[in-house]
Amino acid sequence: MNIIETRDLTKSYADFTAVSGINLHIPKGAVYGFLGPNGAGKSTTMKMFLGLTKPTSGSFTIDGKKYPDNRVQILKEIGSFIEAPAFYGNLSGEENLEIIRKILGLPKSSVAEALEIVGLTQYKKRLAKKYSLGMKQRLGLASALIGKPPILILDEPTNGLDPVGIHEIRTLIRSLPEKFDCTVLVSSHLLSEIERMADTIGILNHGHLLFEGTLDQLKLSAASQGYPTDNLEDTFLALIDADNGQRGAVR
Amino acid sequence: MSVSLECKKVKRTGFLPAFLGGGILAAAVPVINMAVRSEMYLDLPGNSIQILLDANWQMMTMLNVLLVVAGACLLYHTEYADNAMQKMKSLPIRESSIFLGKAVLTICMSLFVLAIEAGAVAFCTYHWFEIGNGFFSELCKYFGFSFLLMLPCVILSLLISEACKNMWVSLGIGVVCVFTATMLPTTNFALSLFPFAMPFQVFASTDVTQSMHYIDSAIAELAVLCLAQLAFVKARRLLE
Amino acid sequence: MSFLSLVGVEFKKIKRSKILLILLVATVILWIPSILNVHMNFDMQAEGISPENNFFIQGFMGMSWFMFPASMVVGTVLLSQTERANKGILKMLSLPISTAKLCMAKFVVLLALAALQIGMAVGMYYVGAAIASSTQNYNFILQPLFVFKEAGLIFGAAIPMLAFFWLLSVCIQTPIFSIGIGLASIVPSVLMINTKAWFAYPMSYPFFVITAEYGKLATNLDTAQVELIPWIPVAIGITILALSISCLRFGQAERR
Repeated sequence: MNIIETRDLTKSYADFTAVSGINLHIPKGAVYGFLGPNGAGKSTTMKMFLGLTKPTSGSFTIDGKKYPDNRVQILKEIGSFIEAPAFYGNLSGEENLEIIRKILGLPKSSVAEALEIVGLTQYKKRLAKKYSLGMKQRLGLASALIGKPPILILDEPTNGLDPVGIHEIRTLIRSLPEKFDCTVLVSSHLLSEIERMADTIGILNHGHLLFEGTLDQLKLSAASQGYPTDNLEDTFLALIDADNGQRGAVR
Repeated sequence: MSVSLECKKVKRTGFLPAFLGGGILAAAVPVINMAVRSEMYLDLPGNSIQILLDANWQMMTMLNVLLVVAGACLLYHTEYADNAMQKMKSLPIRESSIFLGKAVLTICMSLFVLAIEAGAVAFCTYHWFEIGNGFFSELCKYFGFSFLLMLPCVILSLLISEACKNMWVSLGIGVVCVFTATMLPTTNFALSLFPFAMPFQVFASTDVTQSMHYIDSAIAELAVLCLAQLAFVKARRLLE
Repeated sequence: MSFLSLVGVEFKKIKRSKILLILLVATVILWIPSILNVHMNFDMQAEGISPENNFFIQGFMGMSWFMFPASMVVGTVLLSQTERANKGILKMLSLPISTAKLCMAKFVVLLALAALQIGMAVGMYYVGAAIASSTQNYNFILQPLFVFKEAGLIFGAAIPMLAFFWLLSVCIQTPIFSIGIGLASIVPSVLMINTKAWFAYPMSYPFFVITAEYGKLATNLDTAQVELIPWIPVAIGITILALSISCLRFGQAERR
């Protein structure tokens, strides 16, 4: 069963098209890896799911609900983390989460839980504007994870983290579907990272969906097209390169 | 609920001390004026509140309105500065309820400021004039009127701040509006209905019908501005 | 890097900030009531001022008492927010330029904004005077030399005030306090110009100077005149003090 589905989802701005007619099928209870180079349209797609930008055309359903009719219902089920972490600089990490907790109507204990999960407990009293990049990133993650929402949308969650942090967060994301029974949509521009987290992947380039399926399917399809398959990073690069070449030819 | 959240968000931004300081400063105006040149006012006809307000209200309101403009700018500055607004938009709440929370907070603070000023007027009356029968009910009437006329100005400043992501733009527009208000003649009814000009009116006990017109218009403006806020949020969502 | 090119860089930073638009709107609003009520300029026999002089000086008084100082507070907010919003200041501090120079370059931009707004007010005055002349069949247009002299006086008198506003925005990190103190300090200047200690209050300088000019033009009015002796040294002292403190404090909060 698919928890998120899109139909010809398109977002164009005055001078370029960020997302062009993509059809995604994100299965429930899995980690879905969203892969693509910088500027491929990953963040734009995720922002559309959250109602932060309006699709130019096409539609999507989340858990059977439609945007914009069910905006609030949809947002109740999603925990999100988009691009740069968003927070109130004048408040401490704990106070930032407290605000989100109240809006979501969660029990008091959920703040401490979220802080514990991302490992910020010892810095909870510090002001968010004094956080290091990694700590801000963790605060953003905590604000997505708080209350264990059934759907998690994470945009480049490991940006700015140290290797230990990256590993921690990766393990955490991997374990989420089992632990909290949720679906995770995670984006990255690094295949090696998605490879270790995701069950299903979707590859975007220049707003087009190049591939959607499991990693094994990716290997099969790559082999059939004559791309290298022994190293997935190479597969990905070859795929993108071929697509760029084609696009260049069209232009 | 959203009001208590807004209270939390203004922590450490200097919002509360600014209103406290602004209120004290505005309250100091009549006291200092009386202390320096009480002889100019003591023999004037009319009740003491009317005399004091006629002499000082212009300056006191100016401070009040500037305070409201600066406060409104700050409230939305905390939302936009570190991108917190994006987080708020991706949470299951309405933007209008954030706005409402901020409005209630600012209105409470203006009430607080007006209360300090009313205290100053009471003090001046006690010290230089005398507190007669029914003084406090009169005082409530005057400041209740001022409070009501202040509301459209609060809502409009918040609306401007919500619309502009850069604090200095909303501040600039606010300052231009306040300036316009000072240029408008207070005697012209239609022109003095401009939300930033309305707080400059003083309750006229002699002309109750005129005051009632102002009250009615303030309520009508409030309704219009609230609708405008709803429409604005809708429109922005469509455009983004 | 030469100081001039640094100033150029600072101007680039406020590109697309629409500050000019706001300054312009303020000056347009300034002259509209004067144009609408232009007939009132003929009822000034009691003051003994000619209609064209009254038209001009009333507008400039309106400008120098609130609009001009308040616009300049907005200007300081613009200058400090463009640096702080995306941590641009950190980048600037990590470049090989002296902070004092940087601070002064920003102050020059503020001065330029002030000059621009006064210039706009002069331009709008001529537009307004032309309209008034044609509606009233009376020549309201004054000699450019005189108008520019008055404009120059306001600008000169405003420098200590601008230095003070700049000091506020550099030293006070909490934006609401620097804005609030700046705006609140403008309001009492109406009271201050009536006291003997006006020269100690830089926010009242432009208004005082222009009120004194009003007194000169209106033969029957007796306004306080500028006494250069306590004023000029005090004004220079305030300016130097405010600027040197801001140069010392500039970027300190970010450097901790």
